[in-house]
Amino acid sequence: MSEAGGIISRQENLLPDVKTQTGQLKWWRRLTQTVGLLVLGQWSFYGIFRCPFLVPYVSCQNCPVITCHGRIFTMFWGFWLLIPLSALFFGRAFCGWLCPGGLINQLLGRVAPVTLSVKNRLTGLIPYFKYLGLAIALYVWLGWGQPREAIPIRVGGFFSSVLLTFEHGNLIWIIRTFFVLGFLAAGILIASAWCRFACPLGGVLSILGSFSLFKVYKNEKCNECDKCLKICEVGTRPGESNCNNCSDCLSVCSEDAIKIGRFRR
Amino acid sequence: MKGDMKHNNDKKQAFLSRRAFLTTAVGVTIGAALPSVLPAAEKTDQNILQVWSCGGLAEAFIPANKRYKEKTGIEVAYTGAFAAALGKSLLGGGTTEVFAGRVLGLAKKLRKAGKMLFFRPLCFTSYVLVTPKGNPAGISDIQDLTKPGIKVILAPEAFPPGGKAVTGLLKKAGVLDQAMKNTVIKGSCVQRTMEDLVNGKGDVSVVEYRLTRMSLFKGKSEIIPIAAKYFPPPPLTFTIGVMKDAKDKGSAADYVDFILSEEGQSFFESAGFIPAMSDEGERLIEKLGVKDV
Repeated sequence: MSEAGGIISRQENLLPDVKTQTGQLKWWRRLTQTVGLLVLGQWSFYGIFRCPFLVPYVSCQNCPVITCHGRIFTMFWGFWLLIPLSALFFGRAFCGWLCPGGLINQLLGRVAPVTLSVKNRLTGLIPYFKYLGLAIALYVWLGWGQPREAIPIRVGGFFSSVLLTFEHGNLIWIIRTFFVLGFLAAGILIASAWCRFACPLGGVLSILGSFSLFKVYKNEKCNECDKCLKICEVGTRPGESNCNNCSDCLSVCSEDAIKIGRFRR
Repeated sequence: MKGDMKHNNDKKQAFLSRRAFLTTAVGVTIGAALPSVLPAAEKTDQNILQVWSCGGLAEAFIPANKRYKEKTGIEVAYTGAFAAALGKSLLGGGTTEVFAGRVLGLAKKLRKAGKMLFFRPLCFTSYVLVTPKGNPAGISDIQDLTKPGIKVILAPEAFPPGGKAVTGLLKKAGVLDQAMKNTVIKGSCVQRTMEDLVNGKGDVSVVEYRLTRMSLFKGKSEIIPIAAKYFPPPPLTFTIGVMKDAKDKGSAADYVDFILSEEGQSFFESAGFIPAMSDEGERLIEKLGVKDV
């Protein structure tokens, strides 16, 4: 409580134009998250619950599930490649500004008692787990030939299809799905667990994002107070691992050490 | 004055709070999900008929169901998936009102188990040779699959109608061993097989004719008939029947009548099936003994 009070009092010390800028960015982010939820939300649902392949979103071109959004974009590869391309410009901004899974994690994170918003050996190490998730996904997709491990319910109702998919899914599909759902559920205990420690796409975007042109970053004025770390919903600091350029931290820095824009190395 | 402005700013900041946004987002999510969820919840409504079918029939059932709703106002809550899986569900605890499955034996099993009230012949499938556009390898007959240098694409690990049935067909034609030796891609999905073929990764494949009619592949391959004597009988037949769990048996039977009408059957013909209500269909009904038990 005293922490929150501290943040508010520091916000009041900020220059008015910083506050206005932050407020506007918040609005834009909330707008794009809502659009992301409406446009991609159903696709996320299909990817977890209905996709018969072990790695969803990469085999839409020959997926038998007719009602999946993945089939709407006949040039879906072109559409999907926009995401890694965006990372070269804006880092993991997709995670913070558009991803429906990111939004769900954010919602769950509101009640999470553990934020892991501290700097220690554990919190320095576990973000690398998502690269393990990425390696497994790449192996299953490219090395293992992306096996189909569930009966594709080509057309079906919202819940009945999910039940049928679970009923006829092979053991490995069930394990994969419960692994994903387990990590999402873990977000109730540990804020944004999936996004920070397991998401393979997050791993790809983190790698590409380290070369991004635009980002939220710290400058030499930073006094390591870690106010930004405390407020961050993915428990990181600007420009560091897992930073999704959400810009929430812009308003907490009393030293004016956090900037958003073109990052010059 | 300055203080008032600051106060207003703070109020504005509070109005834009993350909590408010998240609450709105939950509301939007529920709102967006409701149209999909409600029909499922309203399946007890007399204006909704629950229909399950073999997934291969989905391309025919989707437009047919749309037309049925236009004519009657009755919405069809339709599920299309691998018939053996749906059949297993129905023989267990699963329920639906109308079921259109592949393989005559499954319909008979459902009748015997008392799950289905009656069934009628719906349509038949057929198998063809497909080659990339222009038929660069000059394929003209199933025996060509044995020629040295011919690149065959198959999906032996696919679901039985596309996997086991095709190997059975090749065996019956006496070309299985040599065709397997010539196989350059052994897939697990018939749609991937078609995609590989259309992209020129092989010279020939054996698929159900219906696949060549899918919008994804229509007009992108050459089609060469295979003599029907090589077709394995079990996967050829599709039936449609009213289940014992149908809330309104009359309404379910009316739907079956529509599907078997000239208009209903035209959707199946367009999707690449042989309608049961056709000369060829009637011949196959007799030949394959598609009669209710």
